[in-house]
Amino acid sequence: MAPRIQNQVVSNTLLPYLSSSSTSTCLPRLSTSSSQALAYSPRSSCRSFSSSVAPQTRQRREMFQWLSGPGARFKNHVPGETNYLTARKTPDGKLLRTSRPFIDNQQYRSEPILSVDLQNEIYDRVVKHKKSVRAVSVELDVDMRRVAAVVRLMELQKKMTDEGKSLALPYGRAIHEMLEKTEYEHGVGASRSHENINDLPSHRLTHPQIFYPVSESRQFNRVDAGRVFSGAPALEHEEVARNAVDPYAAVTRVTHKPSAIEMVGKGDEEHQVLQPADTRIPHPHLVAKERDSLNHPEETYANRKVYNERLRAEEKAQEDRRLKAEERRAKRMLRVQPEDSRFEFRIQDVVVSRETTGKNGRGAAAPGRRYGVPANDRKKGEVKIPTRVVV
Amino acid sequence: MRNRATTGLKKPKIRQSWSKWNLYNMQRFRMKPPHVRTHFQQKWDAKSVARNYHGEQVSEKQWARMFSPRIRSVVSMNARQLAEDDGSKMSAGRGAGLHQTEEEAFKQDEKPIPYAQMTFAPLERRLDTAVFRAMFASSARQARQFVIHGAVTVNGKQMKYPGYLLNPGDLFQVEPDRVMYATGAPKDRSDRRESRLAKKAEEEAKAREEAAAAEDKEQEPAEAQPEEEQPMDPRDTLKALLFQAKEILSTDKSTLPAKRKQQLRGFQKAIKRVLSRSESSTILTDSLEAQFSQLTLLLKAKRTEQQTDEKAEKAEKAEKAEKAEKAEKAEKAEEAEKAVEAKKGSEESDELKVPRPAESESKPSTSDKQTLRDNLSEAFLQASKNQEVDMTQLDDEELEVLKRALVQMRENPIDHSKPYATPWLPRDYMSAFATIPRYLEVNHNICAAVYLRHPVARPGWSEVPSPFSDHVGTMAFTWYLRRR
Repeated sequence: MAPRIQNQVVSNTLLPYLSSSSTSTCLPRLSTSSSQALAYSPRSSCRSFSSSVAPQTRQRREMFQWLSGPGARFKNHVPGETNYLTARKTPDGKLLRTSRPFIDNQQYRSEPILSVDLQNEIYDRVVKHKKSVRAVSVELDVDMRRVAAVVRLMELQKKMTDEGKSLALPYGRAIHEMLEKTEYEHGVGASRSHENINDLPSHRLTHPQIFYPVSESRQFNRVDAGRVFSGAPALEHEEVARNAVDPYAAVTRVTHKPSAIEMVGKGDEEHQVLQPADTRIPHPHLVAKERDSLNHPEETYANRKVYNERLRAEEKAQEDRRLKAEERRAKRMLRVQPEDSRFEFRIQDVVVSRETTGKNGRGAAAPGRRYGVPANDRKKGEVKIPTRVVV
Repeated sequence: MRNRATTGLKKPKIRQSWSKWNLYNMQRFRMKPPHVRTHFQQKWDAKSVARNYHGEQVSEKQWARMFSPRIRSVVSMNARQLAEDDGSKMSAGRGAGLHQTEEEAFKQDEKPIPYAQMTFAPLERRLDTAVFRAMFASSARQARQFVIHGAVTVNGKQMKYPGYLLNPGDLFQVEPDRVMYATGAPKDRSDRRESRLAKKAEEEAKAREEAAAAEDKEQEPAEAQPEEEQPMDPRDTLKALLFQAKEILSTDKSTLPAKRKQQLRGFQKAIKRVLSRSESSTILTDSLEAQFSQLTLLLKAKRTEQQTDEKAEKAEKAEKAEKAEKAEKAEKAEEAEKAVEAKKGSEESDELKVPRPAESESKPSTSDKQTLRDNLSEAFLQASKNQEVDMTQLDDEELEVLKRALVQMRENPIDHSKPYATPWLPRDYMSAFATIPRYLEVNHNICAAVYLRHPVARPGWSEVPSPFSDHVGTMAFTWYLRRR
């Protein structure tokens, strides 16, 4: 909110000699200093012929009182410490810093960000030491998506420095001074676990509460619960026995080939069977590692070897999947780049048929416009701005 | 769109803004007590108060379409627990799990997931909101303006729609200059005056140059330029430079910003004066490494001559001879170092560009810096006590100080052409609002961020920054369920 301009001041500016109230305002800086509102003198008064401070409302006076009193400590930050409203003074006058920026919101905290050292370490491990994102994520306790993002951003930073573009270095430093950070020290590691890397998203199918009686003699586990939630019949006994022998193999059967997940339901209602948490977490191999150390607590060396093998197999499977998908995509699309041309033509086969257009003729699989079927794209409520940026 | 995002005092509203008005309103904000309001009134209050903060720039109709009663949440899984139990323990007993003791049962009760605080999570997907959350703008309105004015790119492509909904994995970037403007302290009157003067001087210089060029074409080249000011004693220069460098690097809280600015300006001038003595005409715009080596060269070239003179003096005093030896050693080491530097100049400059040295310098509590400060202050003390003490004992640490001051000068220079006060300082009251939600990964140096995933709630915590209590969230959620 801009400093308020008092009517009196404005009129004085316009009519310095005519206004009745301008007894002392014709000569700048001659008026007696006003006793009120010392905390704030609006700039407008400097410009006009009046130097008397504009009278303030009670609200403004209180605000500036607060800002110059208890609120003064929010003006500048102390490097390395947060400076939130929730900080309280202890009886002995010490300031207890907190991580909650909002007074009323007990459920939001300002979580630490990655320090520059940790960002550099992540980048080094992924780019220089050629470690997989999964391995780095487990080593440093940072989410896989975050690891990938850090690498991407560091690449961009390198590119910008090479191009000689100006960076916002003082700004970055200031932000890192204001927030809590997860530090990294060479040879020691990260100062804390940055975040939990095995987050299980709650699935829509698990939202309803289901009353499902089970006999006491039955071993009712997470796989069974998932099947109940998705309305699938119970597993065959042989299948259960097979899973019990090697639980990790059961997990990898699904994670390496998601298309192998069993489907239930018919028509539009068809959906995949809900998989157990062991499969749906980002790092299922960690569960297998824990299981090994539970079953064979003495054989640490062998356990670690098996774990490394599993990690490698996981990476290989992921790479294979990526290559296969790429191959499939390449097969579908013909790329033609004429010589001396800037452009690359990508030709894809399309089919416009009853199957692709659907019954109402609006099927997204078929391109082009159909006679008698106006597009919905201008209708009210339709999204008319880009929904994705593909590079 | 008219900006209705005012932060008045009469009817205080909390906004997505870093202004001090907003801070004041935030700390005195109170909802009306529920026992004096009907249920409908409570819902109305909650939604209006929450909407003044969340997506105030989005029309109510648009938000009502965006609202989703399905809220994303996650549960952190413990690999150990998953390995110990395949779930049959949970389903044992009467279906709520078998507990040995009550304590165990109590421990298993995790904090509730604050779903109500996630009511406005869909708005966090908007590009303008994300720009504000990444701390690239001082208010959501400003973020919106940045987007509309074309200063924001998504995945490298300009995106002019503030309502663009980010997809997980999208990388958005704002022009660093805009961010520095938005988050930096504004220019004060003297800054503005100086930028005006600088502009004027530049224009005049340009005009003079043009006129001179026109004259040159007609006439013969002019005679030699007038002699420049008498160069200072290199020893004094170095002393002054080092002193200034130390002043600049000191993180003393008591130094007033204006004073600090003066120091910086003085240092910049001194550096320029020294560098202008070099033969190279491009040295003032050269890379930092080149500048630094030139600086040391200029100072050292003079210094070695001086060294010989002083040596003769010191021959009289036995105790001081030792010192001279030490100095020589130090200098030899320096020279060797310089040779190495010259060899791998490119590497060095790369290293310098990485903000690591600057980062370490900003930490006031590192031990090595403390010792460095002590050494320096000792040297200065000596210098002040005894005029005879020679500044030739410039050891690596002191050189390092000079270098760091140069780095800082280069990273955060005084530049009157910028729209913010230079050297850049964070704007007032910024730290009270500083928070980066976990669904963003931000690189502040390049003002770019990645939208990792949609915000989620987890037991005890929600990821949507909101100044309101969960009661407000619940009431607003029920309001938008459209069952009033």
